[in-house]
Amino acid sequence: MSIVEITNISKSFGPVKAVDDVSFNIEQGELFGLLGPNGAGKTTAIRCMLDIFKPDTGSVAILGGAMNEAKKDHIGYMPEDRGLYQDITLERCLNYLGSLKGLSPAQVKQSSEIFLKRFDLTAHKTKKVKELSKGMQQKAQIIATLLHKPDLLIVDEPFSGLDPLNTQLVKDLLREQHQQGVTIILCSHQMNLVEELCERIVLIDHGRTVLYGSLDKIRRRFSGHAVSVQTRDTLPSLPRVERIETINGSFKLHLAPGSQPQEVLRLLVEQNINLDSFKISVPTLDEIFIRVVKNEGEGL
Amino acid sequence: MKKIRIVLINEIITLLSRPSFWLATLGIPLVAGLLFAAVGTLNMNSATSQAVSQIFSGPAEMRPEGYVDLSALVRSIPESIPAGTLLSFPDEKAARAALAQGQIAAFYIVPKDYLQTGKILYIRPDLNPLASGGDQSTLFRWALQVNLLGGEMLLSSLVNGPLAVQDVSLAPAGEAGPDQSNPLAFWTPYAVTLLFYFLIMGSASLLLSNISKEKENRVIEILLNSVTPTQLLTGKIMGLGLVGLGQAILWLGTGFVLMNLSGRVFTLPSEIHLPGSLVVWGVVFFILGYAVYASLMARLGALAPNLREASQVTFVIMLPLIIPLFFSSSVFMTDPNGLIATGLSLFPLSAPVAMMARLSAGGVPWWQPPLSALLLAGTAVIIVRAVAGMFRAQALLSGQGIKVRTYLLTLIGKA
Repeated sequence: MSIVEITNISKSFGPVKAVDDVSFNIEQGELFGLLGPNGAGKTTAIRCMLDIFKPDTGSVAILGGAMNEAKKDHIGYMPEDRGLYQDITLERCLNYLGSLKGLSPAQVKQSSEIFLKRFDLTAHKTKKVKELSKGMQQKAQIIATLLHKPDLLIVDEPFSGLDPLNTQLVKDLLREQHQQGVTIILCSHQMNLVEELCERIVLIDHGRTVLYGSLDKIRRRFSGHAVSVQTRDTLPSLPRVERIETINGSFKLHLAPGSQPQEVLRLLVEQNINLDSFKISVPTLDEIFIRVVKNEGEGL
Repeated sequence: MKKIRIVLINEIITLLSRPSFWLATLGIPLVAGLLFAAVGTLNMNSATSQAVSQIFSGPAEMRPEGYVDLSALVRSIPESIPAGTLLSFPDEKAARAALAQGQIAAFYIVPKDYLQTGKILYIRPDLNPLASGGDQSTLFRWALQVNLLGGEMLLSSLVNGPLAVQDVSLAPAGEAGPDQSNPLAFWTPYAVTLLFYFLIMGSASLLLSNISKEKENRVIEILLNSVTPTQLLTGKIMGLGLVGLGQAILWLGTGFVLMNLSGRVFTLPSEIHLPGSLVVWGVVFFILGYAVYASLMARLGALAPNLREASQVTFVIMLPLIIPLFFSSSVFMTDPNGLIATGLSLFPLSAPVAMMARLSAGGVPWWQPPLSALLLAGTAVIIVRAVAGMFRAQALLSGQGIKVRTYLLTLIGKA
């Protein structure tokens, strides 16, 4: 069942078309990646999704239909351009944001205590937000997004400003929410994290969808016709191999058209090459991202 | 409704917990009180201070003054002057002795050649360049005038005011018109205009700084995922309006208490006749005027990238409220039912101040205040709804410089 259905939405601001005929679906319980370079139209797409902006054309269905007030209480949204009230205490700030999501004071207290403890912020709850470090404010922001136990969680760059330890903490938290059945939309530039967490992605560039689908399928699609080999021996020139590339101590063998990886493996064994590893070469999401954004429109 | 209440309460608590708010709220009456006390102490006996005190507390107990009539013109003191207020002395020496003993506050000398020169000497112990005569200068002037006219009090009155015009207005019946001959009544509309301008501007400005700050804190987008723009704006307008109203009441109340503490009773001079309905209309026009201007300020706060830029445009927004200030002591008194006064008091953006100025002057046809309030209420509804709807565009325009043209276009939904 789709939790979010974006169908052919477009949104322009004056002469600038921020989102151009974008469509994608997000299934219930999915951890979905929304990717794109700066200014690609991700934030506008999210704002259209949340009814902050009305799309010029196309339609948005969220949690089974059009957005309404009741649905807002089931959505947790942490925008990239975020902030908190600086002149009030962290406790009061969470209280206010939690109560706006329909929680009673007791529910806010109970929920915030759990998260404050988990994020090691209990001792800081009576401090004014402006007295907290950037990382602490970032964690507070995540707490405010999760307080009301949302069914749909939209987090835009949740790892920015976090040290590796807290990055791991947030990563674990997202995984935990995902395991509990929460649908998560993750917007991030940190491709390794998206790769690690998401099952499916959509990549938007210049307002248009340039990649959409299962991460596994996309990677295979971009794998090209190559194998990755790790060995301490020197590789001889091989028939059926067009060229050999050295990457961080391993070799990437680009196969000739029509050749099969099994054939190359057989040739390597026949020539007594000691293999540490032999695998189909699959590009990282980072590589795919760069290739797609650089060559957008070139027959992808 | 629940979310509006949550926003409302949050705004009130946030504002009340700010030291700067209390500094302004308590500081202004405190400074006023200190100034009041200082001036009162320094000039306890000065004519200026007593004149001021007379305005607020009615005639204070007058100290007698003396006169030395060397021209033998003052044969008797008119009956209308209280006995013992003006004391006669045979010569300057006797008058000076009485002054030294504190029997009199000052004395006049009418020289022998008074009828040729018209000059009179006024002897007093202190020098007050602001005072033109003594406490009883009006009384002595009256006594001299009556004696010059052979003791004819009626004739003297006619000389004083030969043109007792009885005004017959053919305009629709309303409350009593203004007494244009009275200087105090003349300045009443000006005072009311100024009071309402500051009340509305002060309260509406709270919303401007609030929205600007939330924008700078980048909280707006998070809030809009929890409440509708209308709920957010309504909660803010109501919360900050209540605080603004409370602040105004506190300021006025403190002034009243200070007056009482200093031994003076606050009573308006008898010349000023403020209609009883003024208070009711005051509340109505304050609430509606506040709703309109607070919404406009909220829109300005949403459009401008920061408070500094927003403040630069505030003048343009408040202009319709400022215009009546220029007319308050002229048009509203001399021609309160004329085209300009009526137009300004019916035009919704200037009505909160202009109608109050006219009401304080009196003579407003009965149907005009409700019509004006109705037009203002309609405008308030349209503006509040329009501004709430535009909170969506706020995020879009975030970070851009504020332009008056953009502001006006967005208000009519064209940008």
